[in-house]
Amino acid sequence: MAVDVAQLTADIAAGDIPALIYNDRDVFELERERIFGSAWLFLAHEAEIPSAGDYVVRRIVDDSFIVIRDEQGRVRVHFNMCLHRGMQLCRAERGNASHFRCPYHGWSYSNAGELVGVPFHADAYGGEHGLSPKEKTLVTPGRVAIYNGLIFASLDPAAPELEDYLGGFRYYLDFYTRQSDAGLDVRGPQRWRVKANWKIGAENFCGDSYHTPHTHVSVVEIELFVDTKARKRKQGALYFTDNGGGTTYKLPPGTYEERAGYVGYPPELIESQRRTWSAEQQALIADAGFMPSAATLFPNLSLVHNWPAVNEEGLIVPFISIRLWQPVGPGETEVYSWFAVDRSAPDWFKQASYKAYLMCFGSSGMFEQDDVENWTSITQMARGRLAQRLNLYNRMGIDREGKLLHDPVEGWPGPGRAFVGFGEYNQRELLNLWSRYLANGSAAPVAGR
Amino acid sequence: MLSFTSATHHEAHEFLVREAELLDERRYRDWLDLLAPDIVYRMPVRVTAPETLEHGLLEDMAHFDEDLYSLRKRIERFETGHAWTEDPPSRTRHFVTNVRTFEGSAADEVVVRSYVLLFRSRGDIRDADLVSAERTDVLRRTDAGLRLARREILADESVLRTQNLAVFL
Repeated sequence: MAVDVAQLTADIAAGDIPALIYNDRDVFELERERIFGSAWLFLAHEAEIPSAGDYVVRRIVDDSFIVIRDEQGRVRVHFNMCLHRGMQLCRAERGNASHFRCPYHGWSYSNAGELVGVPFHADAYGGEHGLSPKEKTLVTPGRVAIYNGLIFASLDPAAPELEDYLGGFRYYLDFYTRQSDAGLDVRGPQRWRVKANWKIGAENFCGDSYHTPHTHVSVVEIELFVDTKARKRKQGALYFTDNGGGTTYKLPPGTYEERAGYVGYPPELIESQRRTWSAEQQALIADAGFMPSAATLFPNLSLVHNWPAVNEEGLIVPFISIRLWQPVGPGETEVYSWFAVDRSAPDWFKQASYKAYLMCFGSSGMFEQDDVENWTSITQMARGRLAQRLNLYNRMGIDREGKLLHDPVEGWPGPGRAFVGFGEYNQRELLNLWSRYLANGSAAPVAGR
Repeated sequence: MLSFTSATHHEAHEFLVREAELLDERRYRDWLDLLAPDIVYRMPVRVTAPETLEHGLLEDMAHFDEDLYSLRKRIERFETGHAWTEDPPSRTRHFVTNVRTFEGSAADEVVVRSYVLLFRSRGDIRDADLVSAERTDVLRRTDAGLRLARREILADESVLRTQNLAVFL
């Protein structure tokens, strides 16, 4: 069945979600072409490839890329397909290499992507007359750019600048990825496959504070992370700006130091945060009193920041995770989940924060376990015939006429619009973006609407 | 390696078989009782590395990196009745084979290596999951019997094909 993008767009704009979008082959084919073929997509963090020759292999849906630091220290992204007969050039997942030699016929490439070796060049090709290696380099995606060490690519050579794409979301992204000038240490990723549509995780992280008190009630009951209880969760603010949005928790009264200390940051990290972040960024914590928690950058990069108790004595330590919802098909996603911590943090903090991460998120995390059970079930339900008739209810925070039930937060210190309390403001924003990409291959408003 | 006919080998093998029974019957409190107070329970992330298998794991990232506190929290969570991911519970079967026993580095310890194949079935229409791994354990003799002091789980997949690790290996 062909996808009626105009109808999808209208439904989503009205606060409905046609249930089929969570498991439909034709919708997925459109997403592959118009979203994953054009948006800025996260591949890796620079800290994963610190030295010349270090590489990781990552995908954009079905396209494999070698993300490597060349001999000059520059990050390069090469399409992992030999120019000769299409063999996958690098079959390891990570390592260090000055060159890649194709296993099939032996064409060799430098880590900067130049073709530097062709066996029997004279005999086979008549030397330079037939083939000039100097003119050949591995294919690159349309664009590559880096922000705070996060390496992004777009398959579209005409993609806007990454900084413009991130827009106001940079203000929030810095909380997770630039807590000091030292940058991040990144560990992982853990990788696992779940039978869930990629959008569900992205939507959940961008704004679903409503699920937390119920889905994650067990985590409160065992006193692992008590702020998730409903009374506290509904006091958080939900913000959205440009291509991303997220959730926050309301902090108890106090100064910046007291509030950052409440979530477990030690004095030296609080000091470096204050040196690193702008006054406007610090105001989110110090004046407005909100601490960033989960967030999503369209389409499939999410972040999370929580502060559980990591030992018997109840020591509270925050952690950061970067995660990618890599689509495998309409009903399957490969989750990439990294642990991230400020590089200048003391060793005890790094270790305790890693422990906090493992207990909460990732393949064994006690939050993530229950999330994925929900998401696989939704995906399974969405593939049937009745799901094609059902519009799901994405209208929390607006009335029947579509008017907001609450006013945005006045004097919100960051970019974009924010609301306090439960609401599906961000899921609507994310899905509106999604439908605009399906229609146009970009975030531009749909023509004639 | 100790002979397959040695009493120590038999004891270690018996420990693993009984432990598998506890895990498959979800008798997690009984399982906790088999753990030493200083238990280190790790499952490093496996990666596809060039040329060698030796470098095929991440030193600083694991799927599990647990002590008694975090293992106990995981089990307390299952006991709340609100751990949706295991409600209804998975049906699991831990197949333990290729058991080899070695002298430990301390007099009261033995090292036992085994293969484990975890079969996990959820609901009625999902495909079942398999997790295949080798485990290297340190078992310690106590007055109450053998206790698990250390477990390193080496998964054979770099990308796990199970929706989460709300199960133990």
